[in-house]
Amino acid sequence: MDITRETIESFLFHEADLLDEFAVEEWLALWTPDACYWVPCNGRAGGDPTREVSLIYDDYARLQDRVWRLASPAAHSQRPRSRMRRVVGNIRFELREGELHTRSNFLLAELRRGRQEIWSGVCQHRLLASGDNFQIKAKTVLLTQSDEAIDNLSFLL
Amino acid sequence: MNAPQALSDYAHLVQTDRIHGSIYTDPAIFEQEMARIFHRGWLCLGHEAEIPQPGDFRATTLGRQPVLMVRGDDGQVRVFMNRCRHRGMTLCEDETGNEKFLRCWYHGWVYRNTGELEDVPLANAYGAQFRREDFGLTPVPRMESYRGFVFASLAPTGQSLLEHLGLARRYLDIFLDASPTGEIDVTAGVHRTRYRGNWKFVGMDGYHPHYTHRSVMDSWKRRPGGGMANLHHGDPFCDESGNLTRDAGNGHVLLDMFPSRLAHVDEYLAGIRKRPGGEDYIAAMQEAHGPQRARELLAWAGDPHVGIYPNLQLIGIQIRIIRPLAVDDTEVLMFPALLKDVPPSINEMRLRQHESFYGPAGAGAPDDAEIFERNQQGLGATVEPWVYLARGLERERQDTDGSIIGMPGDETTQRGQLREWKRMMSEA
Ligand code: FES
Ligand SMILES: [Fe+2]
Repeated sequence: MDITRETIESFLFHEADLLDEFAVEEWLALWTPDACYWVPCNGRAGGDPTREVSLIYDDYARLQDRVWRLASPAAHSQRPRSRMRRVVGNIRFELREGELHTRSNFLLAELRRGRQEIWSGVCQHRLLASGDNFQIKAKTVLLTQSDEAIDNLSFLL
Repeated sequence: MNAPQALSDYAHLVQTDRIHGSIYTDPAIFEQEMARIFHRGWLCLGHEAEIPQPGDFRATTLGRQPVLMVRGDDGQVRVFMNRCRHRGMTLCEDETGNEKFLRCWYHGWVYRNTGELEDVPLANAYGAQFRREDFGLTPVPRMESYRGFVFASLAPTGQSLLEHLGLARRYLDIFLDASPTGEIDVTAGVHRTRYRGNWKFVGMDGYHPHYTHRSVMDSWKRRPGGGMANLHHGDPFCDESGNLTRDAGNGHVLLDMFPSRLAHVDEYLAGIRKRPGGEDYIAAMQEAHGPQRARELLAWAGDPHVGIYPNLQLIGIQIRIIRPLAVDDTEVLMFPALLKDVPPSINEMRLRQHESFYGPAGAGAPDDAEIFERNQQGLGATVEPWVYLARGLERERQDTDGSIIGMPGDETTQRGQLREWKRMMSEA
């Protein structure tokens, strides 16, 4: 796998499409087994998740649970599903000890039951080049709204 | 509809087995709730452990009124009306923080974190009559705390906090005594959630989990012992669980899951023992509380699942504060409490369990919010306006402590809350 701006962009855009389209199984398959999917809370970027509450702090097993639950017909907060479209940009990256660290911005329009919400934030990915694709080892989403009252964040960021 | 003024009207709206849907939808009734419940009774503002250091503050609300809970340089926690004594601006631009002096940025008056007015710019313009000591921050009319839980009331007189808590006091103890020193740490942040529905929907419904939380209960079968909200073994809401709904009086009610937890305490303890320091935690609990009480407290897992009327709920590890914003709009703050003096792995486990179900991205709370919103919409159909709350009415009975108990899915809890609602709303 060549690590170029083009391959990185196309991976992040592909991930964004999977999330927008609720292709959650395919998305889950992007992760390594030591996955860490983290959405901090209260504007606390870089806090300590062992003693601070997060919006999401999933290891692989919890991530599987989350994806499994979203497919359940009784996940009421996603019945009907959010309709989403996100734009990913401002991508920066660097190689650190064999891992590719990327930082990108996202802007997500989410429409559900007549209400449209605009979500935004910064995504930090830690990626491994494997075969002809990347795998996600860790993803941290610094959500602009993380210290506001939120009613429904049951879709994936 | 105009809000009812008299007891007889509320007696019509809240009957033993049914209530009128307008109490969830009528803005005039909401106004009266603000006046008669939220601007009069005891409300919980949080726990002192949110503001552990001198100068720490939290700006919050008492009903609609802005207040400031602040720990002074003398270590004492006080609650002030969040209103500058000059022309009335709120102090503190942030919701939380630490300040030695609280400055009003309108004209620059400065208060100490103990409330006294410290400085007025160009004070000589006020003449010789002006005395700074007359213009300290206004304390809330009444404030009392119970083991660090801070309660306040805008009414200058009324029953004491202990009278108000009554039988429910023991559930605050259960929450705190999951720590061997009886102390909690409330600096882990907060989940702020919101739903477009009436505040009275939230909490203490033992009938809804099988449907509202079907996905979560199914996950327990899929991944036993590791799944979401994994504080329970088996189904705690079925009649065979031995669990109860309990109305402890004064509107305080709980889903009493102690029976099934005690039955499964050894499984729970086996899980604790597997964690680093788990054995030490159990030993410290036994040392502090004695073997019998420690076993009970560990079975409770610090989760009394109680609603302290009207705005505090202790569920799982969270101190939940309910903030009604409008008749159909409610904010719910969930403060996860860490235990003091326990191995870090215990608190980490508690945080992950909390996040798995609660907060806006949890597996449970967003489904509750969704259901409450649909409930609010459904109540817009008023041709048949009654809400039926008779489940278990025929079989509820009195426990030895005087509380009323029902089966796990019985509406004993809703009836208990609404009886207190009716009483408070009927007092002129
Ligand atoms: S309103 Fe605060 S200084 Fe004037
Ligand atoms: Fe629920």
